[in-house]
Amino acid sequence: MDRIPSLHRRIKTLQKTAMQFGTILSFTTVRHPPAGFGTEPYVVALIRLQNGTKTLAQLTRGSITPAIGATVVPHMRKIRTMRNGLFVNDLKYEVVAKKIEPIFTVTAYVLAVSGPSGVGKTTIARSLMSLFSSYAEQVPIVTTRKAKKGDSEPYCHVSEEKFEAMVQNGEIISQTGMPSASEQRRYGYRRNDIDAIWRKGKLPIVVTELNLLTGLVNALGRRAVLSCGLLPPGHSRRSMLSSLLHRLRVRGRDTEEQIEERLKIAEADLRAFDDHAHLFDHLIVNDHLETCIEAVHEIAVTRR
Amino acid sequence: MRETVYVLGGGQTRFGELWGKSLSDLIREAVDAAIMNTNILPTDIDMVIIGNMVGGETAEQAHLGTFASSLLPHHPPALRVEAACASGGLAIHTACAFLESGKAETILVIGAEKLTDVAGETVTSALMHAGDAEKDGPSGLTFPSIFALTAAAYMHKYGLTREDLSLVSECSHRAAIKNPYAQFRKEISAAAISKSPLVADPLRLLDCSPISDGAAAVILSTRKESSVHIAASQLANESLSLIDRESLTSFVSTRTAFSSALKEANWNKNDIDAVELHDCFSIASLIHLEDFGFAQEGEAIRLFRDDETEATGSLPINCSGGLKACGHPIGATGVKQVLDCWKQLTMQAPNQVVNAKRMMAHNLGGVGATCTVHLLESI
Repeated sequence: MDRIPSLHRRIKTLQKTAMQFGTILSFTTVRHPPAGFGTEPYVVALIRLQNGTKTLAQLTRGSITPAIGATVVPHMRKIRTMRNGLFVNDLKYEVVAKKIEPIFTVTAYVLAVSGPSGVGKTTIARSLMSLFSSYAEQVPIVTTRKAKKGDSEPYCHVSEEKFEAMVQNGEIISQTGMPSASEQRRYGYRRNDIDAIWRKGKLPIVVTELNLLTGLVNALGRRAVLSCGLLPPGHSRRSMLSSLLHRLRVRGRDTEEQIEERLKIAEADLRAFDDHAHLFDHLIVNDHLETCIEAVHEIAVTRR
Repeated sequence: MRETVYVLGGGQTRFGELWGKSLSDLIREAVDAAIMNTNILPTDIDMVIIGNMVGGETAEQAHLGTFASSLLPHHPPALRVEAACASGGLAIHTACAFLESGKAETILVIGAEKLTDVAGETVTSALMHAGDAEKDGPSGLTFPSIFALTAAAYMHKYGLTREDLSLVSECSHRAAIKNPYAQFRKEISAAAISKSPLVADPLRLLDCSPISDGAAAVILSTRKESSVHIAASQLANESLSLIDRESLTSFVSTRTAFSSALKEANWNKNDIDAVELHDCFSIASLIHLEDFGFAQEGEAIRLFRDDETEATGSLPINCSGGLKACGHPIGATGVKQVLDCWKQLTMQAPNQVVNAKRMMAHNLGGVGATCTVHLLESI
């Protein structure tokens, strides 16, 4: 019963189960709890969650009497006390009277544009923004990086501690770290930001790299992410990299040292198009900016 | 069946709260009775299979195969099987497989359980190991409450009333009066059942099979013959946790095992004269009868209302008292069911069904996660 490793694994399971509303399929009051669950009766319900999966969990002691078909909302609550006095928390569900509207509908999706550094993601995202004007919005990136001149993307700068706290409480659904010789920085996306854009009825656009894309796909589901990969022009990996190097130098935003580092990452990103092909709906070669923007625009509008 | 497997006979201990007897005492008593009641020498037995679920937790005894084998003078090869409450049924099924394969010719099959040595909450926790430890356990669910979830869903779906549900346990108690091995040998009225303390809403104390000690043993053989043989032995499984199920009011494992068994024996379901079914909770009896196809969905209670389930009815059910009144020592139940079928077929049952020729023993593990069905026939 009091097995610490099993509790540790349970936490991981819970982290994977997003906090979802549900509907009661059946429920019962346990009058004779098993060892470790105290002596007071409690209600356990079989719940169908928003995503269609089912779970067994206790209900909180609320004012509303549970009923089959009632809507429940999740909370983290103390579920039992271990023999050594430590509390164990787990998901408990509260019965709510009113029917809860789901935050997003199935048609909602995120447009993700990804590709190696210097391929022109930012330019394309900015153009898309003006093309979509009133119905798209770029999702801000939360970062521990210091603000710097020439930043064009919507960044939200936070401290390392704040970032870690947001990861811990689940606010940040996708994150990546980029340790380098020059600086230690982390990037991430907040669920709230994406939800807010959806609630406005707009299309969230993320300009991103592989780790963040993977995180988003895991958190939102593969179908909720329309993913476009951008390739630099060139017939071989070598020629693609050299065209990237050229663009990075022309941009003049980074030092030579940083450029070298970015190129290394770019090389890995190029490889990812092959290794993680399942993460991409479309691959577009950015050899001519206007054509490329048109292509992404069309994909996003028709949601192919 | 590839070989004709004969049931030579068997024996059992009384089921109940047997504080004076340890797990080993129970096994010894059942084995002695089985050998006494069948006309064989202990050395004719060339294999021992024992079904047991929580021997380690409640009786501090594992390695039960060897333990049982040690009771015989020649220590034949032995093994222990476990499938929660279907451990007994699985032991019989395993024995059939060994006999059919020719690996053994005469097998002593034992089912045994000792539960009353430890506190109630410890037993509750140990029995909960029959569920999914990661999906069911963390919510603090107990086994009665798992079946309570199915009962609540059933009542919601089909409008079954509390008064109706009580008829199921009443029938079992009436049958157990005549069974000398039963744990509760007294009649209990439906009204009293409806008023018994709640265990897990809507299930009350008298909806639940009791915590029991006990053991049963039967001897199966392909070499020695008798008037009763096993016509079919089937095992079927379903997802362990309730959360992976399509339906709360039907067990796929029962449906699969039952239809495969009928096919194996080449029987029609109406050929069956009487049934020993796994009534671990009153609601389970109703669900099983519907899964067998003896009643339409939501209508199984009619069989009880019309007294069709009595020994004199059209479909006698649990003439031994079933798990509810005869007792439910987990691993022993499946073996005891086959023993009770054998008693019916050899005309020595306490509630004898007139002219019983074909019987079914239906054993369930977990909340329908494992199911064994054995069809027995007298020649």
